[in-house]
Amino acid sequence: MTAATLPVRRAYAKGWWGMVVFVATEATLFGTLVGTYLYLRFQNAHWPPAQLAKPPVLTPMLLTAALVSTSIAMHVASRAVSDGRRVRAWRALAVALPVQLVYLVWQLHDFVDLIHVYRPQASAWASVLVTLLGADHAHVVVGVLLTAWFVLRLSTRLTRYRAVGVQATAFYWHAVNVITVVVLVVQVSPYL
Amino acid sequence: MAVTAPAPVRRHIENLERVWAERPGVLGWLTTVDHKKIGLLYFWTTLVFFAAGGIEALLMRTQLATANEDVVGPETFDQLMTMHGVTMIFFFIIPMTTGAFGNYLVPLMIGARDMAFPRLNALSYWIFLGAGLFMYSSFLIHQAPNAGWFDYVPLALRRYDGGLNIDFYALGLIFNSVATTLGALNLTVTIFKLRAPGMSWNRMPLFCFAMLATSLALIFALPALTADCIFLELQRKLGFHFFDTAYGGDPLLWQHLFWIFAHPEVYIIVLPAFGIATSIIPTFARHRMIAFPLVAMAELLVAFIGFGVWAHHMFATGLTSTTLVFFAAASMMVVVPSTIQIYAWLMTVNIGTPQFRAPLMFIGGFILFFVIGGLSGIMFAAIPFDQATTDTYFVVAHFHFIIFGAAVFPLLGGIYYWFPKVTGRMYDERLAQVSFWLTFVGTTLTFFPMHIVGLLGMTRRVYTYDHGLGWDAYNLVETIGGYILAAGLFTIAFNVVRSYRRGLPVGRDPFHGGTLEWTTTSPPPPYNFPVIPTVTSAYPNWDEPDRAEDLRKLERGDLVLDEAHETPESTVNDAVPSAIAEMPPESPWPVIVAATVTIAFFLLLTEHYASAGLAFMLTLLAAAGWNAHEPEEGVG
Repeated sequence: MTAATLPVRRAYAKGWWGMVVFVATEATLFGTLVGTYLYLRFQNAHWPPAQLAKPPVLTPMLLTAALVSTSIAMHVASRAVSDGRRVRAWRALAVALPVQLVYLVWQLHDFVDLIHVYRPQASAWASVLVTLLGADHAHVVVGVLLTAWFVLRLSTRLTRYRAVGVQATAFYWHAVNVITVVVLVVQVSPYL
Repeated sequence: MAVTAPAPVRRHIENLERVWAERPGVLGWLTTVDHKKIGLLYFWTTLVFFAAGGIEALLMRTQLATANEDVVGPETFDQLMTMHGVTMIFFFIIPMTTGAFGNYLVPLMIGARDMAFPRLNALSYWIFLGAGLFMYSSFLIHQAPNAGWFDYVPLALRRYDGGLNIDFYALGLIFNSVATTLGALNLTVTIFKLRAPGMSWNRMPLFCFAMLATSLALIFALPALTADCIFLELQRKLGFHFFDTAYGGDPLLWQHLFWIFAHPEVYIIVLPAFGIATSIIPTFARHRMIAFPLVAMAELLVAFIGFGVWAHHMFATGLTSTTLVFFAAASMMVVVPSTIQIYAWLMTVNIGTPQFRAPLMFIGGFILFFVIGGLSGIMFAAIPFDQATTDTYFVVAHFHFIIFGAAVFPLLGGIYYWFPKVTGRMYDERLAQVSFWLTFVGTTLTFFPMHIVGLLGMTRRVYTYDHGLGWDAYNLVETIGGYILAAGLFTIAFNVVRSYRRGLPVGRDPFHGGTLEWTTTSPPPPYNFPVIPTVTSAYPNWDEPDRAEDLRKLERGDLVLDEAHETPESTVNDAVPSAIAEMPPESPWPVIVAATVTIAFFLLLTEHYASAGLAFMLTLLAAAGWNAHEPEEGVG
């Protein structure tokens, strides 16, 4: 008996569900990090420490806006693969990838600066902020690798396995974008 | 079956045998993706860790047998105590329940041919093995973790604990969390997506509900431990500040995050035991579980409430009384789902016609120990009592009744119960009864006097004590009990090894169990089921017309899926087939990926960060190699 003769109902594949569960655990990790930031914030009279300038906001906001906009392209790619439209999906991924890459390189550059200016060895505030940003950037690195992988894979052929992979990657990116916005809010919270 | 079966059946079976065959020999074990072989790898590896943790416990008990004993020094005692806890929790119970029992049984119980992600499954095993070796390599340089399994700061900070001890602990647990998370993810998706046609939630075995509750609890609890250990390592290795007040940190942060993980962890440990109890009881009581849906919900509810009670481990740390009262109330709430289950087990035995064979004996012991441990646990929800007994042996007594009496006893019963399924042979019943009484008496003698000696003021974690405090006799009894317990466990091991060689051969279903694993041959073939079973109740093996229909389907070739390496996917709620998933074949990449990760963690430990980065690059390359050969399902 083959798939064609089975009474099939359309549903998300196991690969997509795997990504959902993975995102659930990663989101909990970020919840823990943000929770730590807030917990320590209420243990301290000065947060960030009095002598430190507040962290930069304008560049991270613009960069995050650009990154979040790639969710649209990822959504298009996800819809396209489920309709079996390989070229359309490939184009959407190829649009998203450079934006994600520029975001990542720019942020990593600023991240190194931030470590030197705020020195996690000097305060708990800088320690938790650097850890939070580092964890976020690490997740963007994984996302960029996934997008790049499927740009390569879809350049030749679309299979069900790859289609599920693209859908899972799109879901991952939506989640990472939400997490990035939350991290941004934490980063700018000293101004609030 | 193959000899007398008609030709079409024989052809299907031959096809399945060919499609699902794996490489034989040692290489086959390295590259296997078969959930049953991976389950057995988990089983034997965790047994080795269990033996190690047991030897550590016996050494401690020998040291504590009489006053002013000098078997091991204080430094060694700290390492033994810490590694006993770490081993039993992270390298024995969790991998034994999710890795060995979950892996082997869940696909068989839900009528699937493998786990949802077979290669990921192999990866979790190899990473678990790497993490275990990493952790235990610390003994080679006499720098095993030594700040207790809870590893409280500031003791665990570099200033007070300057060796590699705590680095082994923190990195080892981060490493092991990867394996555990992947395993839990795999079990969750397997239970969501690979249930046999017709197995809607209300027909899923309670064992699988318990495994689902365990897996979800792991998914949401482990990140707190991982974050905590990352903070600790950043502070120890790179001079970050999370736990020291001078720089705006807080030592209680460690305890909060640790117990946010470690209290759900208690339920993670004990839920699979509930699942095993709900498998063994209906079989030997010859009656379906009473209050089936309530028990299923109670299992999930225990896991859920477990997230709201962590601060009852911190009643003596100076939290505000409002906080204490909230957590005390939440802790008392856990009684409700636990009691529902206890009554359901007892009533099922009461209504049915029980046969007290070894597996059911162990469940009897489990219920008794769980009630005792539960009652002493409820006492801690009373804040003044908790504050009076914090850090005494009363606490040690309580949690050993739970995590040995309640969590391990069903495992021991489960080993006997599924032994015929896994090996195709019967264990020695008389020897099994002897082993039950030895472990039962041993457990009681070891852990019950701890209540008394705790109330008499003996504190936890001490490596020795003086004469004349009134503790001597109790401690001696505990040590004797420890050796009786060890003898009981050894008897079980002996029974398993001997019966594996000499036990009487059994058919597919020696106990007349109700769930799907008993419908297939013992041991199950690599493809588990010749026909994907269709399910119409929670005890499908007792539905004889359905199983007869399966045989007719095999003749017709319905739902046999013998043309490729396939298993059906179904919808999450109703288990209506939604697709045919092509499963990946055996692969060398999981073990390679795990090896690169192991190397990377050793490099992190020794502060070779650039080399560790390179090792993680190799991990990425290996992951690319993994995906170079992907299942092709030819849509586009």
